[in-house]
Amino acid sequence: MTDRLALLIFGLATGLIAAGVAANQPAVLPMPGVADAAQAHIDYKLKCQGCHRPDGSGDDTSNPPMRDMVARFLSVPGGREFLGRVPGVATAALDDARLANLVNWTLYTFDRQHMPKDFRPYTAAEINVLRQNPLRLERVETRARLVAGFMQAGKDRHIEN
Amino acid sequence: MRGFDKLAERFARSVARGTSRRSLLATLGMGITGAAVFPVLPVARASTHPGGTPHQPVTSGNPQDPGDRTTCDYWRYCAIDGFLCTCCGGSVSSCPPGTEMSPITWIGTCTNPADNRAYIISYNDCCGVSSCGQCLCNRNEGDRPQVRTQSNNDYNWCLGSESSVYNCSTAVIVGVALEQPK
Repeated sequence: MTDRLALLIFGLATGLIAAGVAANQPAVLPMPGVADAAQAHIDYKLKCQGCHRPDGSGDDTSNPPMRDMVARFLSVPGGREFLGRVPGVATAALDDARLANLVNWTLYTFDRQHMPKDFRPYTAAEINVLRQNPLRLERVETRARLVAGFMQAGKDRHIEN
Repeated sequence: MRGFDKLAERFARSVARGTSRRSLLATLGMGITGAAVFPVLPVARASTHPGGTPHQPVTSGNPQDPGDRTTCDYWRYCAIDGFLCTCCGGSVSSCPPGTEMSPITWIGTCTNPADNRAYIISYNDCCGVSSCGQCLCNRNEGDRPQVRTQSNNDYNWCLGSESSVYNCSTAVIVGVALEQPK
């Protein structure tokens, strides 16, 4: 009888713990183009986080914010290319496949809300082509033009609504 | 009042009778010679002992994190370039009082001798007070030339903080690196 009671208590406890763990787990949303999210997170820590901060928040003086911002570049012409040619991406010491994995992960992790419905994930081949031609001193100007583009588009949409 | 005058007069006269005018030179000469001889006296100095440490070791007490954090040999310092905050009133993961931790950091990996795994280390600089000057450590593993700005640790990483004056560097573990395919 005591054995049964112990078994019952054990079962209940296990069930509760399992439920707790399940409740604490954030829902895993799909990330097309991210073959290995754990690898991407490690690569983010190694190659990006030092300047862009662990949460991608950045600041307006030293390193631009990526959170709630980075995927908006995909909505303007030239933005998709910009994300592959910006120096931090193009010159990162990672091979093309890991870099594509990292860029897709960054987009989904820090700015899922602005991801275009028809987004095609970056592939290693596309990253390879883009990083051959990295932006240098013109990066600030290019970014300002693209940001002005999607800010204006956002305003127009607001007025239409 | 009169008695006070008398007393003062007697004292002045007795000094004048009992000392010569040149005795000042003799006293000064003795003082100067004494001052010159003083450092020659056999005084024990801890720092001159060959095996002695100039300061108390600071350890974690955890066998998974071995080593003295005030020495440059400590495993987390493998890519550091600067003064160790542990010697400057801070610790391996916190800034000394009066300084501000830079949000922008140099990031590297170091192998922990306890488990032989590579850990991701964030070398946050502490800023706002002039250089600490204690425990300079410059190991630079994984440091890249300045053309790779984001992988070079010679830059002043106090850029994101209120003041760009550098004080010392910390070494904070931010993750465990995965095994890389060779």
